Amino acid sequence: MKKVSLIVASVFLVTLLFSGVASAKPIAALLFPLSGPFSAMGTDMRKGSELALEEINAKGGVLGQKAEVIMGDDEFQAAIAIRKYKEMVDGQGIKAIGGTLSGGISVAVNEWACKNKVLYMSFCHTSIPLGKEQCGYGFVSGMIPYQTGVATAKYAFQNLGKSWMIVTQDYRFGHDELSAWLTVSEKMGGKFLGNIYSPLGQVDYSAHIPKIVATNPEILVINVYGQSMDAIIKQLGEAGLTNKKMKFVIPKSHLFTIKASGAFYTENFYGGHTFYWTLQDKFPKAKKFVEDYMKKHGAPPSQDSDGGYVGTRALLEAMNVAKTTTDVDKLIKTLKGFKMDYNKGPEEFRACDHIRTTSVVIVRGIGAKASGMNYGEVVAEIPWQETLESCENNKNDVPYGKVKLPGK
Amino acid sequence: MEINASLLINQMLFGLALGAVYILMACGLTIIFGLLDIVNFAHGTFYMLGAFAAFVTVSLFGNFWIGLASAIILVGLIGWVTETFLIKPLYGKDPLYPLMLTFGFSLAVTDLMRGIFGTVGRIVPLPQFFIGSIVWEGVFIPKFRVFIIFLTLGVLIFLWYFFKKTNLGMIIRAATRDSLMVRTLGIDVPRIWTFGFALGVGLAGLAGAVNSTIQSALPDMGVEITVECFVVVVIGGLGSLGGAILGGLIIGQVISFVSLFASDWSNVAIFITMLLILLVRTRGLFGEAGRL
Amino acid sequence: MAGREKTTNAGSGNRIVWMTLLFFLVIPHIISTPLATEIMIYGLFALGFNLLLGYTGILSFGHAAYFGLGCYGCGIAIRDFGLSVWGGLLVSIFLGVLLAAIIGAISIKKRGVYFAMISMAVAQMFYFLALSPLKKWTGGEDGLKFIPKLSLQFPFHVDLQSPFPLYYFVYFVVGLSILAIWRVLNSPFGRLLQAIRENEERTIASGFNVTMAKYVSLVFSGLFSALAGGLFFVYLGYGPLTTLFWLTSGTILLMTILGGMHTFIGPVVGVAVFLFAQNKFSWIMDRWQLVVGILFIALILIFPEGIVGTIKSKYLARKTVGQEIEEAE
Repeated sequence: MKKVSLIVASVFLVTLLFSGVASAKPIAALLFPLSGPFSAMGTDMRKGSELALEEINAKGGVLGQKAEVIMGDDEFQAAIAIRKYKEMVDGQGIKAIGGTLSGGISVAVNEWACKNKVLYMSFCHTSIPLGKEQCGYGFVSGMIPYQTGVATAKYAFQNLGKSWMIVTQDYRFGHDELSAWLTVSEKMGGKFLGNIYSPLGQVDYSAHIPKIVATNPEILVINVYGQSMDAIIKQLGEAGLTNKKMKFVIPKSHLFTIKASGAFYTENFYGGHTFYWTLQDKFPKAKKFVEDYMKKHGAPPSQDSDGGYVGTRALLEAMNVAKTTTDVDKLIKTLKGFKMDYNKGPEEFRACDHIRTTSVVIVRGIGAKASGMNYGEVVAEIPWQETLESCENNKNDVPYGKVKLPGK
Repeated sequence: MEINASLLINQMLFGLALGAVYILMACGLTIIFGLLDIVNFAHGTFYMLGAFAAFVTVSLFGNFWIGLASAIILVGLIGWVTETFLIKPLYGKDPLYPLMLTFGFSLAVTDLMRGIFGTVGRIVPLPQFFIGSIVWEGVFIPKFRVFIIFLTLGVLIFLWYFFKKTNLGMIIRAATRDSLMVRTLGIDVPRIWTFGFALGVGLAGLAGAVNSTIQSALPDMGVEITVECFVVVVIGGLGSLGGAILGGLIIGQVISFVSLFASDWSNVAIFITMLLILLVRTRGLFGEAGRL
Repeated sequence: MAGREKTTNAGSGNRIVWMTLLFFLVIPHIISTPLATEIMIYGLFALGFNLLLGYTGILSFGHAAYFGLGCYGCGIAIRDFGLSVWGGLLVSIFLGVLLAAIIGAISIKKRGVYFAMISMAVAQMFYFLALSPLKKWTGGEDGLKFIPKLSLQFPFHVDLQSPFPLYYFVYFVVGLSILAIWRVLNSPFGRLLQAIRENEERTIASGFNVTMAKYVSLVFSGLFSALAGGLFFVYLGYGPLTTLFWLTSGTILLMTILGGMHTFIGPVVGVAVFLFAQNKFSWIMDRWQLVVGILFIALILIFPEGIVGTIKSKYLARKTVGQEIEEAE
């Protein structure tokens, strides 16, 4: 027993010792869900980050050296994300981290980053700039959830009708969108007809459809995400509702959803996106971004690619400007008000709450006409001034954080 | 929200359609358990494979019916192979081993499918005449849901006929009761077991193909339905087909009505139902005494 | 396989416990500290789990319920009730025992597969409860947040934000627990559990109250699993919803089988190997879940005794042959 266990133990230890073979010193660690049910979106985000890293290195790298950035898999779990970030920060002395796809995880990572004085660039839709979560070390290259709700609601009440009903996924993101819609509805004379809560993971909406039909709203807001969004669209289509008069508005839609819904994603569908690739017709810099991405991957960038790209590029450029990769206070100072013009016109990270000032794009479906890469048409771009609340409001998480949501 | 008769009838009909899918799955689980004494933790995986079989077939041949049929056949074949090479070696060992093996199988195959098909939902198009709803006196149900109910009814009639009237069916019933006896009669019982497994997972594949049209074919679609089937089978009583049917009906209605009145409890409700029924009747509604 | 007991020898086994404690004393200086801390925590979880599976022969597919309850319980006690870290851990233990007592009362008499399915269903129910209806307390899918910086005040100040002090605090608790579990399993009660696993009917016929023994085993199992959950909260400073997810139950099963469910230290070895490999592999490949699933299947089919079990049986076989040769001469 002793001999065998001794051999096993020494082999184990030797492997351990050699497992940390060093290469160039990495300056940042980025995590995305690369395995599991959201791997497609997580991989998109990584592709965006990789593109940014390549561009920076082609222009001379960071502080004169080729930048080394670790990109890994958080397996869509906060515990694993924190463990890996811990390893990078404690073990490799990294002071800047980035990622991820899930707003829930990003909030947990933000809390950890603040306790450990590490700079965190979040690439997704997250509530980091709001209220209690705001602690100074987090930046957002994605968006605050309520922004897409506000943008789509404003567009809807201006162009599509006034009476509306909503199916809300029962988690924070869903609640944020619901709050946004309720607030805008009051301001713009919308007529709220009812809300249906849907638990996370629900994929059969057949039980709700009679209610929707009976209520007969002009606008149905689809505030459920992931598999649920795919499912409800299909089931609405199956019930024959998607090509009648009802309009469907999705606060945060996705390229993949439009793809997965096929002919059911008709001209009655309007979705909010942070980026849509046909913007290249409007912005020359978007053209370069889309072309480089398409050349590398054969498909257009989604909004996740945009989040990863912008966040990574800004982080690395900030390191060059601040002339440091480890002085977190200097980096924060540099990133406050940091100006960018990457793919959607001039933007910046607002100094007070570190959120990227970016627009929401409203994309309308084209149903059966969808082919190749052509899934929809951009019908409006809502500028950030119309969706982002003031510094003071975000700090106190008003108005959307204080909206009384309908009971269950 | 005003509650009137037509709303309630609608919910009940939807609950029936929901329950129909659970019935298909639960019958499959029950056949496997009754015959092989195995709890198939990979049942949801075969459901998912059925959805993809339909997707691939319909993409190739453009015919929905071929898609449905192929789901049963292809998944049945995969089940045949799985049972022969992965489960048979475990006969005679602790019954917890096949259970654990099917769990590992579900992990591996789900991820394999993610690798092959990606994690963006695949469309299995509904034939045109299934799109739309039947509306009658304020009652409203999508045509496809009506089809699901009748399809399940058809399957149940087929199973009844198969088990009661055909030779093979009677052999299977005998083997469920006393496999040693059947063996001494010279019948190749291990072959029967393989067939039983294939049939059981074939039913799951059919359920998956049916749902793939209204949900999207996704590798992760089978993950939660496995536990839900267990609840159905535990409620109905492990090993009883009648129990599987009743359990499926109950669960369908529970989900439907809880969604109407307290939608954020709709996931939890089925577990609470299971616990309540177990407290009252510890082996489920139709559970056989000896099996416990 | 006939005649060879799958029991752990009390005498030589003692060495294993001390070797393990020594190993964990040293390891954070060799591999990454967070990983080492997690290995200890999951190792405790696996030992608690294996009390039920390997020693009593009962498979629970819902042990995430204890782990998660311990995690959230500790967190809520600290955040909302102002308890200290020690207090939080005591709450974890209490909740683990309570849950096990309730589940045991409902289902301990059920046959193996029924128990497995019911335990899975109960765990899923807790997951969905934490996800939606009880969101105000649990944070839903965001998890338990807004936790103050954790530290120990008694018996002396320890800053649990720093990796090494945190590690050795966890080491202290896990070490004590390992010794406790060791004592339990090498007592007459422990041998009774193994007798139940080997041949339940005969044990009943011998006059033992088998149901009560199983029940107590479940309670102990719940206790240590929940304690591991509490430690996990302290380590993360956050309470993730994934602790309640069925994949956690499946993973702890896998790690236990990987190491060897019929040995004392096997589960811990399984945890170490699995977490280490997962950490390394997921940096390299995206399909690691496929690898894990195949590994699991291979284990069940070829090496159901796991790493330590297979090593042990090879060694034991050699010893027997060696002895035979000696005796022949």
